Amino acid sequence: MSTTELRIRPGVRRPRKISITTIVIGALLAVGAFATAFPFIWMVFASVKPRSESVAYPPALLPQEPTFEYFRQLFVELDFGRYLVNTLAIVIISMLGLLLMAAAGYGFAKFRFRGRDALFFLVLVTMMIPVQVTMIPTYLILNGMKLTNTLVGIALPTLVSGFSIFLFRQFMATIPTEMIEAARIDGAGEWRIFFRIILPMSRPILAVQVVLTFIAGWNSFLWPLIIANDQRLYTLSVGVALLNQQIATNPSLQMAASTLMVVPILIVFIVFQRYVVQGFALSGLK
Amino acid sequence: MKRNRLAAVSAVAIAGIALAGCSTGGADDPAASGSLTVWVMGDSSEHFDELIAPFEESSGIDVETVAIPWDSIDQKFTTAVASGNGPDILQIGISKLRTFADSGALLSLDDATLADYPNLASSNFIDGVAGDATAIGGEVVSIPWVSDTRVLFTRTDILAENGIDAPPATWDELRADAKTLAGRGDGQYGYYIPQWDSALPVVMTWDQGGEVVNGDGFIDFDTPEFDKAVDLYTGLYADGSVPTNSDFDQTQGFISGVAPMLVSGPYLAAAIADAAPELDGKWSVSVLPEAADNTSLLAGSNLGVWGATKNKDGALQLLDFVSDPANQVSWFGIDGQLPTAKAALADETLTADPLVAVYSEQLANSRILPLVPNWDGETGKALLDALNAIVLTGADRDQTLQALIDATSSTSVN
Amino acid sequence: MRQRIAPYGFIAPAMILLIAFGVLPIAVALLVSFTDMNLAGLGNWSRIQFIGVDNYVKLFGDAAFWQSLGNTAFFAVLGVPSVIILSLVIALALNRSQNRFFRMLRSFYFVPAITAIVAVALVWGYLYNTQFGLFNYLLSLVGLPPVPWLSDPVVVKFSVAAVAIWRGLGLNVIIFLAALQGVPKEYLEAASIDGAGSIRRTWSIVIPLLRFAIFFVTITTVIAWLQFFDEPFVLTKGGPLGASTSIALFLYQKGFSSSQFGYASAGSVVLFLIIAIITLIQLRARRADVDY
Repeated sequence: MSTTELRIRPGVRRPRKISITTIVIGALLAVGAFATAFPFIWMVFASVKPRSESVAYPPALLPQEPTFEYFRQLFVELDFGRYLVNTLAIVIISMLGLLLMAAAGYGFAKFRFRGRDALFFLVLVTMMIPVQVTMIPTYLILNGMKLTNTLVGIALPTLVSGFSIFLFRQFMATIPTEMIEAARIDGAGEWRIFFRIILPMSRPILAVQVVLTFIAGWNSFLWPLIIANDQRLYTLSVGVALLNQQIATNPSLQMAASTLMVVPILIVFIVFQRYVVQGFALSGLK
Repeated sequence: MKRNRLAAVSAVAIAGIALAGCSTGGADDPAASGSLTVWVMGDSSEHFDELIAPFEESSGIDVETVAIPWDSIDQKFTTAVASGNGPDILQIGISKLRTFADSGALLSLDDATLADYPNLASSNFIDGVAGDATAIGGEVVSIPWVSDTRVLFTRTDILAENGIDAPPATWDELRADAKTLAGRGDGQYGYYIPQWDSALPVVMTWDQGGEVVNGDGFIDFDTPEFDKAVDLYTGLYADGSVPTNSDFDQTQGFISGVAPMLVSGPYLAAAIADAAPELDGKWSVSVLPEAADNTSLLAGSNLGVWGATKNKDGALQLLDFVSDPANQVSWFGIDGQLPTAKAALADETLTADPLVAVYSEQLANSRILPLVPNWDGETGKALLDALNAIVLTGADRDQTLQALIDATSSTSVN
Repeated sequence: MRQRIAPYGFIAPAMILLIAFGVLPIAVALLVSFTDMNLAGLGNWSRIQFIGVDNYVKLFGDAAFWQSLGNTAFFAVLGVPSVIILSLVIALALNRSQNRFFRMLRSFYFVPAITAIVAVALVWGYLYNTQFGLFNYLLSLVGLPPVPWLSDPVVVKFSVAAVAIWRGLGLNVIIFLAALQGVPKEYLEAASIDGAGSIRRTWSIVIPLLRFAIFFVTITTVIAWLQFFDEPFVLTKGGPLGASTSIALFLYQKGFSSSQFGYASAGSVVLFLIIAIITLIQLRARRADVDY
């Protein structure tokens, strides 16, 4: 299989200037982006405002006397190091789930088999129920498997999700079947095809899923809370929730906590988004 | 490329699982005599460890404190009940007491059980939560621990500017003062009624000398005192003295002077001191205004023992320890929560602080909300919905109140 | 032969986990919905009683239930098309260029989706605050009266939906961006050589090729909005007087919060059926579509 490259017609120079339309669109997007990100920007500035400024009126975006007091509090009062390790462990375990889901997505996308539609509907069905309903039966199952108070027990209920399998299936459906057939004719085994052809071609959606899985693992709150019998297994989200007092909470502290939680996700996103939008040339086989 | 990355990810995942298997070292062995697990709410677990360090030393019992976020106690408790695996001791917010008691998961703490522990005698605690006050169906399943109440906050500077030289001593005065203060201008109010606060109308009823629970233990809003309370509540709105939007922020309202009088708890005092130190000396805290009485709300947390605990004696010993007035005073110093032991509330180190002196005084005349199933979600909510319908949407008062009475009259504390 | 069983091998691990933790609980919920299970019953199964369809009767007789149903329908009708169209437009615009500037903008659009709901509530609650919020402050600067964003029974629905739309954009923009990578440049080149304008190309070529992504986004967005919970929960707790209570929030307050698990399960089953039926309709409508 050869990838066809974009042929530049002789005599036509590729234009170097960006078109006016692009500039206009860029400007509009920038305005929209700023508006969209504004609450986030507010959050970051609020995290360094002393408490007196957080109740000030008229409201001001920038702090007069920024303080890192609340970040300090977070690190001191939160058992940050331990919670961080737990959170990362869960993220890593979730990445394994990613593989399982990609395989399932591929199975549903590219094969015809008995019960396919019914099973796929089951996949969708798991998205349709509120999590509180699943909480108790799931807990009882994990309790029966003696997985309470373990990291595996925490990661297991959310290891696979209907949402991600559905997403994988949609994307993998667009992979040309001819490529797969050709590989089969060449004698390649099914799993080999999966790892050698399907996964590489799914890079954009894999990148998306890595980011999503990271977010879910990083923010994991409910299961770590319920499955853990002691604080040693708490994740960052649970630790942050502990700082919420019963009635009066300190807004700056909460903003600091939220900023802390968001920054790593943002970094992961910035790193992986390259792969999301990495154009790959789908050859002329189409 | 992809393959290597895949292999790397798998290797790391496997390592992660292996690590996970090791890290908690064989899960929890059921509390061998000599250890206790305690559930403490919010971020107080470190402070709690500090408090009980002497206990651990003297008794040889190893105490493990687990912090539970306030908003998640329901989930945690539910799964514990479902599996039967709970802590040994747990902190129970009074609003949750009925629900937890009804689950049957708490140990009954009758006189016989408590006999050996002098600090746990109900006479040691303030009346509002002692003994039978927090019994469910006649059964005591918890011991008082920390308390909270509601007092009157006033911006003395703003009141003075408007010719009022002392916080109102009666509810009628409060209503009149609020009207005066609201007259300062557009967007200025005299008082603030939180639309989510189901305790306030009950407190108002109590202060008119009435009850919300009748002699048989049923909720009864069909009383003249409740009617007078409703007059007061709706009157404040009718006078234009209170804001009508649901998202009014009381801290900002008080600090900015938009709402110079409020009924709120010690947490507000801490917030004001923290956020507006420049207001020092310009605001004060006083006991509630009275009509027939000035009873206030008593909130806070008790401590309960898990029914299936394997270390009952140890648990009771720990309860006895934290109920010792000296230790309750310590706890106040470490964590800032008010005691429930009478001797502790009278302690000089506490009453030296003028604010605490007021809280203490008010606590001696405070009561808990009726221990009906799900006050927050049902009775309290129905009460608020009715009142808010009257003051915000102009619903017919008599009809609405009658509907409220009908809807709640079969709810019982038994 | 190997090809016959291969698909089962691919889907098995994930399906086992899904069934254990996703499907089984639904079956359990169905069972529980016919009982009066509460916290006491949970601890001691002998205290649970079968009460037939009583929970359902009570549910359908509850005015608050119908109010929340109506609210949910309103939110869905308002939110779903908004999210889909806005994310598609933004993705198309962002895809215009791969240069650094555009790449940087992507992060801005993604940020709402990754911000913790607690922070979202705080910031937006503050922006919307009637007395002290930024929006009304800005309005006051131009002489306009303050808007009761979260206190008015009608306005509150829009305010809460707006926050949810804001949050829902990021994820879908990324998915559309990923999908746009699969649109072969040759098609667009050929079309432009043929003289088709930019908008024509987008409408007639790109969007049809995005079908699979649009389908995914539609289904998942509908499901998400029918389960609308986070935003009303943190912003208004369903108020004022139930004006912003969605079904999921109603179930949480009436059922789970008060440990009426039987009742909550009945409500969950009803919600589940509604979602399942609507999804099935969407699946059927798409059946006629071409497979790749």
